[in-house]
Amino acid sequence: MRSDAVDTAHVLVIGSGGAGVRAAIEASGYGETLLVSKTLTGKGGCTTMAEGGYNAVLREADSCEIHFEDTLKGGAFLNDRDLVRILVEEAPQRIQDLLKWGSVFDVTDCCEVAQRPFGGQRFPRTCYAGDRTGHEMMATLVDRLHNTDVRVENEVTIISLVLDESRVSGAIGLDQKGGMRVILADATVLATGGGTRIYDISTNSSSGTGDGYALGYRAGAELIDMEQIQFHPTGAVYPYDARGRLVTEAVRGEGGILKNVEGERFMKRYDPERMELSTRDVVSRAIATEILEGKGTRNGGVYLDVTHLPRSQIESRLPVMLEQFLKFGVDIRDVPMEVAPTAHHIMGGLRITMHTETTLPCLYACGEVAGGVHGANRLGGNALAETQVYGKRAGEAAGKVKERKKKVDQKRIETEEERLGTFFSGDVPPSTIVRSLQTAMWEGAGIFRTGPELEKTLGIIRHLHTLHPRAASEANLAECCILQNMLVTASLVVRAALLRKESRGAHVRRDITQNWDAEHSPYGHTFLSLAREGIESGGRA
Amino acid sequence: MKDLSVKVFRFDPGCDDTPHLQNYLVRLNEGARVLHVLHAIHDEHDPSLSYRYCCGSGQCGSCAIRVNGQSVLACMEEARDEITIEPLELPVKKDLIVDMEPYLDRIASLVPGTEFRMPTPEEVEAIKPLRSCIECLACVSACPALKVVDFEGPTAMREAMRLSLDPRDSCDRISESVSEGLFTCTSCQACWKVCPKEIQIPGKAIEKLRELANKKGLTLPRHQAVAKLIKDTGRSVDRIGTSFLEQVPEVLEPYGAVKGTVGFFVGCMYNLRLPKTALDAMEVLRRNGIRVIIPKEQICCGSPLIRTGQLDFLETLKSRNINAFVFRNIDTVMTMCAGCGSTFKNDYNCPFRVMDINEVLLKYEIEPPARLPVKATYHDPCHLLRGQGIRTQPRELISKVVDLVEMPAICCGSGGGVRSGVPEEAAALAENRRKEIEKTGAEIVISSCPFCEFHIQEHTDRPVKNITTVLLEGYHEKDRKKTQVPSC
Repeated sequence: MRSDAVDTAHVLVIGSGGAGVRAAIEASGYGETLLVSKTLTGKGGCTTMAEGGYNAVLREADSCEIHFEDTLKGGAFLNDRDLVRILVEEAPQRIQDLLKWGSVFDVTDCCEVAQRPFGGQRFPRTCYAGDRTGHEMMATLVDRLHNTDVRVENEVTIISLVLDESRVSGAIGLDQKGGMRVILADATVLATGGGTRIYDISTNSSSGTGDGYALGYRAGAELIDMEQIQFHPTGAVYPYDARGRLVTEAVRGEGGILKNVEGERFMKRYDPERMELSTRDVVSRAIATEILEGKGTRNGGVYLDVTHLPRSQIESRLPVMLEQFLKFGVDIRDVPMEVAPTAHHIMGGLRITMHTETTLPCLYACGEVAGGVHGANRLGGNALAETQVYGKRAGEAAGKVKERKKKVDQKRIETEEERLGTFFSGDVPPSTIVRSLQTAMWEGAGIFRTGPELEKTLGIIRHLHTLHPRAASEANLAECCILQNMLVTASLVVRAALLRKESRGAHVRRDITQNWDAEHSPYGHTFLSLAREGIESGGRA
Repeated sequence: MKDLSVKVFRFDPGCDDTPHLQNYLVRLNEGARVLHVLHAIHDEHDPSLSYRYCCGSGQCGSCAIRVNGQSVLACMEEARDEITIEPLELPVKKDLIVDMEPYLDRIASLVPGTEFRMPTPEEVEAIKPLRSCIECLACVSACPALKVVDFEGPTAMREAMRLSLDPRDSCDRISESVSEGLFTCTSCQACWKVCPKEIQIPGKAIEKLRELANKKGLTLPRHQAVAKLIKDTGRSVDRIGTSFLEQVPEVLEPYGAVKGTVGFFVGCMYNLRLPKTALDAMEVLRRNGIRVIIPKEQICCGSPLIRTGQLDFLETLKSRNINAFVFRNIDTVMTMCAGCGSTFKNDYNCPFRVMDINEVLLKYEIEPPARLPVKATYHDPCHLLRGQGIRTQPRELISKVVDLVEMPAICCGSGGGVRSGVPEEAAALAENRRKEIEKTGAEIVISSCPFCEFHIQEHTDRPVKNITTVLLEGYHEKDRKKTQVPSC
């Protein structure tokens, strides 16, 4: 290992989505901050793809208490209450930061941020910038980042955390050409986003490969509720290669209705009160059930219809949807969309405190990679808020860590070099293993689950783990590491799903009958780490 | 499933001396995008192929590339057989990956002022059309000015305008943009025609910034001189001889039966600098049964003022020109200057139909001319191709009379006030045109815009002719052959 390839910073932030950039902006107020991105900052991650909005209590008639209750109820009471409390109380301040830095949200005639209704909420509290809210936030955050002293390293893939005794002291990465980079830091923030790319059908960008869960787990951190995968009810079904592409909840927020192939507005049979604006877990199961019962379209979806809305409303409030579907030959002003559930968000993640501390000293986590905020089902609009609330908290907490002498963990570097070396003698293209994993996860750990199917899926993942992925060149090493991250993340999801012997929120066990509802469940979080695994008892996490 | 054969640009600066195009055969699902072609190559043929992508849904701007020379997003562009996939015209790092960071870093950031005020709904609506940029750099790749002068580029100008509209920003974006090359844009429209979000950078950002610069007294002196000339004389160029309007009656009757009638808006350049070309056009029209009505009170269309942001007396020009035709009950006004035509179609609100002369000639199915033994290339005027969407019509007409050799459609540098304001840039762009012309081996250059014709002629040794002049030569040749007494 050449010494000039060793970089140091006070705070290392891994990930360049909404949470990572927000954390870096905050941390830069405390000391030298280095942001490392697997992609080009501002382009990777899922924040920039988030369409619908940002939940914040901004009106007299609304209250943080109602937002708190909505979030808990939506999360099937599995949420960590302290984390929810912070989310709802600080979301309004964090949107204020964005506005101060130049975000262009839609506004009302009184120059207040406009809000629209979203699923599972009793007040229309979802702030938006058309249907490109996440993109608007990302543009603002990157803009702000340029006004700080944060150093940015783009297109470097972190492959391992490094430890100094039990304390996380930085990370090892690979640059675009496959060269090893070692970064030492007093504090490390994981803001790597989610990982539903482990499923065959997913809304996630290419970076949603679960790297943070795997990095944290392998370093010894504890993760909670990894079985809780949100299947977004409305993903595109055509063209086949772009299946799973997000069709924003804002479509239903603006008045879009769901119909099966017989033209029936089927949500009245599943949630007559909230209809299309029920929580995502309920709507996803309803759509999946309709399709399973043969009431789906030829392309394997149901109809999502906005043709009854004024054309101008579609054009001004849903411009991205309109443009995307037009590109694929469908004018949503005239014909209904076809949609089906798609793997969207991992509610579980690294266990954190209110200050985003993980169970490992000097390692912080924020955004989707952290668990506990959303419980067993996330409300639409709460994720963007989470990125800002907890991104700021992570940057602050990491920034406040005491400086200390940094030393290179030679042993870890050697272990990594060894691992990388094996990829050159591998014999299976990583893309082949990824495809097998995605199919197995979709079939065995999807919307409806049973113990035997989960066991079978775990068996497949373990088998895939024994294969030897091949790196065709140095530049392909990162792909092999990412594949291994996906395998680790998938195994965490399936192991946790086996641990939770109940149906709760997004996690449905068809092989288990229970005589309690979510609010009275005897169970709390599932937890997994190198040292232990299990499920908490006592309910009400 | 379908099988496609594609060519992909491959280049690894670490081991290749020069780039090359590699052929691949891939099998894809119906509706697959270009990105899926790249995935298929990477997964099944060659894992060393490097390309960027992230969101796969047109929202992140990572995957912009060129397909058959056109900048597109790989994730949104449908995959077709026989396409050539190349990187953007930016420094290549490897294969399809270009170095985006230096350009992304040039985009300005909002600097919050001491006092905070939320934008009003009107301000939000004004900013929105400039805000959906995904920074894919397709516009930067397509911008011809960036290739010859130091200029912050189209999307940086877009952001400058967006910031100038925002009450929260505390910087002087107008002066900044002037020093960053605001006046180097030729308004060729290439940037917004390739923009996946269809952001009208020339009209909605650059011309608007120039308008604000004008209010701050930052308009270039040479542009001010043009405005003064228009104000004083009604014309954007000065008089050097007898004008076209002085040489024609108000109504030109066709030689044979009347097939149709059009009003004619001649424009300053054909009126005062190239009257002979306009007269040639009249001959072609008369020969083809088209009656031409030429109101003499018409003046400059105002295009030089709009492109340079000097709008003070634009409305006077507009109403005088519109009234000239309305007064005569004309339902179709013909332009032959691409700039005037684009201005009438896009910047005026005309109560009559506006057609370019190429459209008019094709509509009336003209008499075939004799073929001339000449190899010609065609220069697409920006304001005809992108300003009016006229691409096939000139080619169809040209092919009736000479052999056409294509060259890439790139701005010659004469538009947007650049010829007068930044002459060295205009010359550099024309020099690039000269090289392209030479590559074609054509003996003559044909165009359909007085600015292009005049400007390119200064930079090439080949004759530059208007389409109608060449058609007229074809007619003369036809007549000559007819009158020749066969010798026996």
